[in-house]
Amino acid sequence: MAFGGLLALRGVDIAVEEHQVVGLLGPNGSGKTTLFNILSGLLRPTAGEVWFAGCRVTNLAPWRLSGLGIGRTFQIARPFAHSTVFDNVLVGITFRSRHHYRRVLDRRREAERLLAMVGLAPKASARANELSLGERKRLELAMALSTRPTVLLLDELASGLSPKGREEVIRFYGRLKERGLTIFAIEHSFRVLAHVADRLVVLDQGTIVAEGRPAQVLGSPRVMQAYLGEDE
Amino acid sequence: MGRRGWIGAGLVAAALLVLPPLTGFHPYYLYLVSTALLFGTVATSWNLLAYAGQISFGHAAFFGLGGYGAALASLGGLSPWVAIALGGAVGAVGAAGISLASARLRGAYLALATLAYAEIWRGIAHNWTAVSGGGAGLIGIPPLPTLAWLPVDFTRGRAGSYYLSLAFLVVVIAVFGGILRSRVGLAFAAVREEEERASLLGVRALPWKVLAFALSGLFSGLAGGLYVHMVRVVEPDLVFNRYFSILPLVMATFGGLHTLLGPAMAALGLYLVSELLLHPYVPAFHQLPYALALIAVVLYLPGGLAGLLPGKRSGAA
Repeated sequence: MAFGGLLALRGVDIAVEEHQVVGLLGPNGSGKTTLFNILSGLLRPTAGEVWFAGCRVTNLAPWRLSGLGIGRTFQIARPFAHSTVFDNVLVGITFRSRHHYRRVLDRRREAERLLAMVGLAPKASARANELSLGERKRLELAMALSTRPTVLLLDELASGLSPKGREEVIRFYGRLKERGLTIFAIEHSFRVLAHVADRLVVLDQGTIVAEGRPAQVLGSPRVMQAYLGEDE
Repeated sequence: MGRRGWIGAGLVAAALLVLPPLTGFHPYYLYLVSTALLFGTVATSWNLLAYAGQISFGHAAFFGLGGYGAALASLGGLSPWVAIALGGAVGAVGAAGISLASARLRGAYLALATLAYAEIWRGIAHNWTAVSGGGAGLIGIPPLPTLAWLPVDFTRGRAGSYYLSLAFLVVVIAVFGGILRSRVGLAFAAVREEEERASLLGVRALPWKVLAFALSGLFSGLAGGLYVHMVRVVEPDLVFNRYFSILPLVMATFGGLHTLLGPAMAALGLYLVSELLLHPYVPAFHQLPYALALIAVVLYLPGGLAGLLPGKRSGAA
């Protein structure tokens, strides 16, 4: 993937197996969010392909990818700021092409269930721009789940949260894994990924520099070098 | 909207319903209030479009297309009732056309494209003399016929166009109210607030934008169609005038952007103050209320008059 003369991603080849949690690590500017933008259809890659469930999905529009079962969250939450928390979740439930409910009541019930799951039921009638950072993160997750995805791209769900909030995120990951979702997650927190990921991939300057089980990858000198730089 | 708001709106509606007999079917006053009601219709249709995040500086295009469509149909021998309906359809098609042509534009760029669109239609109407009559326009548009089967002579004098204007306003408000409570409203709000996010949740923006434009164009076109049957003439500088693009915008934002009744109330208030109070006495300043309303919205009332109501937040409501 190139932006003019800048190669943001180069030779990145990642396979995420069904029902796995794969963590994506890398310093700022390493290309993690660019990769997510390509996978969710927000960016068209200048080279390469994206495959999903045996089908080539490169360059499909986000709404088509959503219909196939790909959901995502954003590092900086992007809810419908002036809409209520309830309506934010209702959008995905109403417009998803799979598992579509004909009855309004069923759609509303699912929205209530999702909000209860992320602990936002008491805030259902508040506007999204009235929520705290942690609440926005939870709303992001509820919105991503509202389309009933089979693959979830989670972009720094734990970033900016207190230690208590991070514990909560780890619990969320566990529950999502129990539901059989396939998760590809960007996190800066080694601790969160060490708890939840089956496999880690580390990016640096747009290329994969390490890949494997969390214990292997987190102790790798190449990963330390990517984060901390080389000794003079 | 709260209970008090609905009671107030009901009282205004009741007063408007009995106005013609109260004025003794006075043609001038009925014409003025009819025009205010038509502005209310166009302002509400502008607001409906804005609810989907599409800002138009060119509603004169839809109003004018409706006006010309209805005038040509009427002069071609069709019943004025059918002609006005056709005017609405022409307005809807014209609006859907600019929506598709400007699908990649947003915000100020889209607004400028719609402004240019209205000017293009004005130019076409000026120059396509064989169809539009050129700068002189078309005359001899018949008035609305009386309806003998009505129990009261509702179509006496200008009462017919008055009640039809009122009906258009009630219908556009009802349609907008229905949209606000439906999946259409949910899609419009999602596209308005975060188009990319909406797309990731399965909302394909383009069809919803086209629908918003078409609905807005339909009601503006109906208003244009009725207007030319009221004044019985259609000219490019009359119906494609920027007046019909800018005033609905001012009325909608002053009444309260995205609110159900604000634009209509502001249209009635501003137009009647301008025409009844200022025009006869200080004609040079009769457009002052629109300027003051715009300044008030920009500087002091971001939520418009509706933002002043208790429990209303400023901005989108």
